Amino acid sequence: MQSAILQGLRVVDLTRIVAGPYTTRMLADFGAEVIKVQSAKMATGIESNTTPYFCAWNRNKRSITLDMDYSEARKIFLKLVKISDIVVENFSPRVMSNWDLDYATLKKSNAGLIMLSMSGAGQNGPWKDLVAYGPTVQSLGGLTYLTSYSQDAPMGFGYAYADMVSGLYGAISILAALEHRDRCGQGQYIDLSEYEAVCTTIGPALIDAGFNQNQIVPEGNEAEQRPGAPCGCYKCSGVDRWCVIAIFSEDEWQSLCSVLGNPAWSEEDKFSSLAGRKQHKEILDRHIGEWTAGQTAENVVDCLQQAGIAAGVVQNAEDLANDPQLAAGNFFTTLDHPVLGEIKTDTYPIRFKNCRQTPWKASPLLGEANQYVFRELLGMKKTTIRSYIEQGIIA
Amino acid sequence: MKLSANRYGFLDGLRVLDLADETASFSTKLLADMGARVIKVEKPGGDASRNIGPLFKDISRSENSIPFFYSNTNKLGITLDLGHNEGKSIFSKLVPNTDVIVETFAPGELKRMGLNFEALSSLNPKLIWASVTGFGQNGPRRNFKVSDLVASAYGGQMYVCGSPSAPPLKSFGDQSYYAASLFAATAILLALRNRAKTGTGEHLDISLQASVTATLEHVMVRYFAEGIIFQRQESLHWNEGFVVLPCKDGFIHVTLFQKWETLVEWLATEGLAADLADEKWLDEGYRRQHLGHVITVLKKWTTAHTIKEIFETAQLMRFPWAPVRSPNEVCNSPQLKARKFFIERKYIGSGKTVNTPGSPYKTSSKIEARTHPAPMPGEHNELIYRQELGLSEKNLKLLYDCNVI
Repeated sequence: MQSAILQGLRVVDLTRIVAGPYTTRMLADFGAEVIKVQSAKMATGIESNTTPYFCAWNRNKRSITLDMDYSEARKIFLKLVKISDIVVENFSPRVMSNWDLDYATLKKSNAGLIMLSMSGAGQNGPWKDLVAYGPTVQSLGGLTYLTSYSQDAPMGFGYAYADMVSGLYGAISILAALEHRDRCGQGQYIDLSEYEAVCTTIGPALIDAGFNQNQIVPEGNEAEQRPGAPCGCYKCSGVDRWCVIAIFSEDEWQSLCSVLGNPAWSEEDKFSSLAGRKQHKEILDRHIGEWTAGQTAENVVDCLQQAGIAAGVVQNAEDLANDPQLAAGNFFTTLDHPVLGEIKTDTYPIRFKNCRQTPWKASPLLGEANQYVFRELLGMKKTTIRSYIEQGIIA
Repeated sequence: MKLSANRYGFLDGLRVLDLADETASFSTKLLADMGARVIKVEKPGGDASRNIGPLFKDISRSENSIPFFYSNTNKLGITLDLGHNEGKSIFSKLVPNTDVIVETFAPGELKRMGLNFEALSSLNPKLIWASVTGFGQNGPRRNFKVSDLVASAYGGQMYVCGSPSAPPLKSFGDQSYYAASLFAATAILLALRNRAKTGTGEHLDISLQASVTATLEHVMVRYFAEGIIFQRQESLHWNEGFVVLPCKDGFIHVTLFQKWETLVEWLATEGLAADLADEKWLDEGYRRQHLGHVITVLKKWTTAHTIKEIFETAQLMRFPWAPVRSPNEVCNSPQLKARKFFIERKYIGSGKTVNTPGSPYKTSSKIEARTHPAPMPGEHNELIYRQELGLSEKNLKLLYDCNVI
């Protein structure tokens, strides 16, 4: 059988919550041996091993327990680093150096090591100590302000998109650093800023603001820069059911009119050009809304798509779980967790033609790999391990 | 390989053909910024994505799209009509010397043109081919027309963003394209590692819709674990633990339940804690039941302050709070300045420079990052066709005349 792409790579994972664990999950999904360093006192709240949230971001990983406040624990950690390829951490910038485990120190044990530090605003600069969560970084980076109906009422996302973006950049930077290491044998330190990751997702708005000195305002559901009309979200029949329609070209407008049965209003002069349709957007949207309100979102969209118009159903979590399109790509899979039982999870939005997926495992229980790592990998004696457990070092 | 091989970044020497429109050109920009040699292949006259706004002011050029500029930095540009037989033949000549192709044609379209993965991987069995489309190469919706709005709706982003009393709200600025591009770059790097192991190429199939669904963080986790269909609830976030509140000079994003006692003390020193010091509010369950009251009291307090006053004190006390910043304010961030996040690039055709957002990470290797702007249509035709493919000057002129390039 073909081995997984990243099989043979070992990752020491000090990350918590989402952004960091999402980076290491990507590596684990593709066969890297990811060893998550936990401790009983840290594994609480959403970092507790049997919460669904923890399970989502830590599948395919192993778990060991080390209380890093003990110098003995940090010595063991260094031994593990020595036989690993990658270290990932997302503590506040001072934590690793306070433990005397910064890159300069780790490199002494392992010259080819790739270390990724993920933090709110990066390891240097006036805001290096920024305390941040995904949603607040989205605000700092401009995404909350822009994702709103108007600038007087910032809305933003209902979820920590910034953590996912940051996690993806983490995976990309590690994979690229591995390419570099393969070519010239050099290890790497990577200092990733979640704030900057957010900024990259509004690049054009930042250039528009900086170069043109334009005051950028939120656009709601309209893409001001690709003028379309109608273009937006329309109510359909049923409770909180909606569809989106985006008309850009004259052809698309004509197709829409014919799907609607060329009603008299559509032939009015004011709707005969894009500029006119934009100018009379409110009346236009009312007409479209009257048409969509009487039908299901699925019906509206099927009719429009058949006529070559970009339209979509606003899907909720239940729709996604039952979506035939996602099912066709086996986007969701089921894992068997020792405590939570069968649990469904998303995979990733990439399909490989040749590469076969090796079997996946649910997330680990706390310290599930202690024997494997301390005995088998590090060759520690049973009595030594027992003594470390008694002292609370392996805990 | 020698160290100097990676002068321009980790991917120096990687050869990429970019046939992508605006939905995935950011994926090859990521590769180009890491040193890969990315050639953007456009139809004669240039890709339609060169017309997407916002546009650069004060630059006298027919096309001056900011999104195009941003997503195509550090690439070379050639023009080629892939519908023309001569164009196809030239394209086939480029394939053997290519590691990666990224394309965004509708499923089946390249096959009709005889330029699909199966056909071209016979010319280069190590070829890595990434197809980015709205819904993927298979499935009932594969031929649906897509835009960022459509992908955001189908992917589940819109339903969970916005106000319950208003329509679902799309995220700003083509996020489905960025998400899919990040996954495409990840996929390409994975396929490269696999190729190093097995010697074979790969066809990667990336869906915009699935990329949106894959970045919903808690939404599917909670549905599968608890059956919760998450509803939009403005800035409260999933756990109702966050809210955006007004200050004298703008808005601040605060947490509602962290360090509760410290927060109440802070308000009390200003005489603005109202009844929140009462013992009953120590119970988080009670606070959640009476969330509206907590927000009302906090709002009265934040409106008495500037953003700066609250943000700086909050950070000192380690509350993960942040101002709601506009792009104009982000441009002046002292942190981004200190980290040299913006890279100055020359904009061809004018003496001006453009501050462009750079990479969100710094690396320990000393790299001479390139700072080229996006190419003009066919800017590197001479270089690629004459010098590399060895076409004669006469031949090249003929191709221009027939509108092949």
